[in-house]
Amino acid sequence: EKMASKISVVLRPVKSIVVRFCPFEPNVESTRKFLQCIFHKKIQATNRNCEVTADVRHDGSEPLVDVMFADGDRLIMKGANLTTVEMLTALGSRCNAKDLKEEQKSKKSP
Amino acid sequence: AVTAKMAALSGGKGWLRGWLPALQLLRRGSKAVTRHWKAMHFQRQKLLAVTEYLPPRPAVPPRCLPAHRDHPQEEDGYVRLLRRQVEQVFRSSRMVAVCQYNSMPDEDVVTMRYYLRKHNIEVKFVLNEIVRPVLAQSKYRNLLPLFVCRNILLVSPETRAREMLRVLKGIPQVNLLGACIDDTILSRQGVENFARLPSLEASQGQTVGALALLPSQTSSLLQRGPSLLTALLDEHIRRLRDTGAPGEPPQEQGT
Repeated sequence: EKMASKISVVLRPVKSIVVRFCPFEPNVESTRKFLQCIFHKKIQATNRNCEVTADVRHDGSEPLVDVMFADGDRLIMKGANLTTVEMLTALGSRCNAKDLKEEQKSKKSP
Repeated sequence: AVTAKMAALSGGKGWLRGWLPALQLLRRGSKAVTRHWKAMHFQRQKLLAVTEYLPPRPAVPPRCLPAHRDHPQEEDGYVRLLRRQVEQVFRSSRMVAVCQYNSMPDEDVVTMRYYLRKHNIEVKFVLNEIVRPVLAQSKYRNLLPLFVCRNILLVSPETRAREMLRVLKGIPQVNLLGACIDDTILSRQGVENFARLPSLEASQGQTVGALALLPSQTSSLLQRGPSLLTALLDEHIRRLRDTGAPGEPPQEQGT
């Protein structure tokens, strides 16, 4: 629980995040925790333009996290068998990689 | 001899020989109580090592004995009070909505509470470990899987789902998961459908209108036969009057 709030994710390269889950299913805990961590002050402060939407359904579908990046990439994480920490680290690593790429690009072309 | 030596150590070297205090030579150069860390004299170290406390060891090591099961913890009075409050809330309100609460700035929380209070909806923060046992024993067992991670309850004695949905639509950090309205468990889709229904008075009026439609037609239905007959006879009289003899109409009028 404490681990999950300590992982800092820089959301600058992210355009939008859609978290879809079905609250009456038993396998949604990690996805809900992920949603809770995304709304943390620090992570929200890194990017105010990022739209986080929660899609609550009742059709027995699997919990899903759909991340749209600013450069058109898409990351889909099926949270049924993933832990919160895994999802956060995956997202964090990809965001950092994209950030580095952008910095390099901006350095190359002044 | 040991005590004399200890006394000599404390002051300087001269007590045994009876030196005057003014002529005391302190070999080490610092007093007994210093602000810096001072190494212990070797004799003192030995003394402390010899007189160290050794706790008594039991004859049988405790891990060989049968494990002592922890007594079930007594229920806290505070926990009992909170549980009673939750039970009371469930009993007294017609609408209980469960929402997931993600961290919000404090002023937003206050604003949300204010707007919901205007529609007589109260916001209650609940702890899962308190609510779960209460729900498991009551008839709301199917709400149990909802209570994971931080949740809030929106309770109200009236069922104003439309206003509640409108307020919650403007707050992205609070997600409606499900609700129990009038002892009926609804999902989010169900709540939206419920909000779209017309109000109770309107639907009652519609039902009464639909039911009263047929009886209102009964009197006209019953009268239809005789009224047709009267119309036909009137028509007949008029035709006879137009065409024929004056002797017949009084006879027709008699029937």
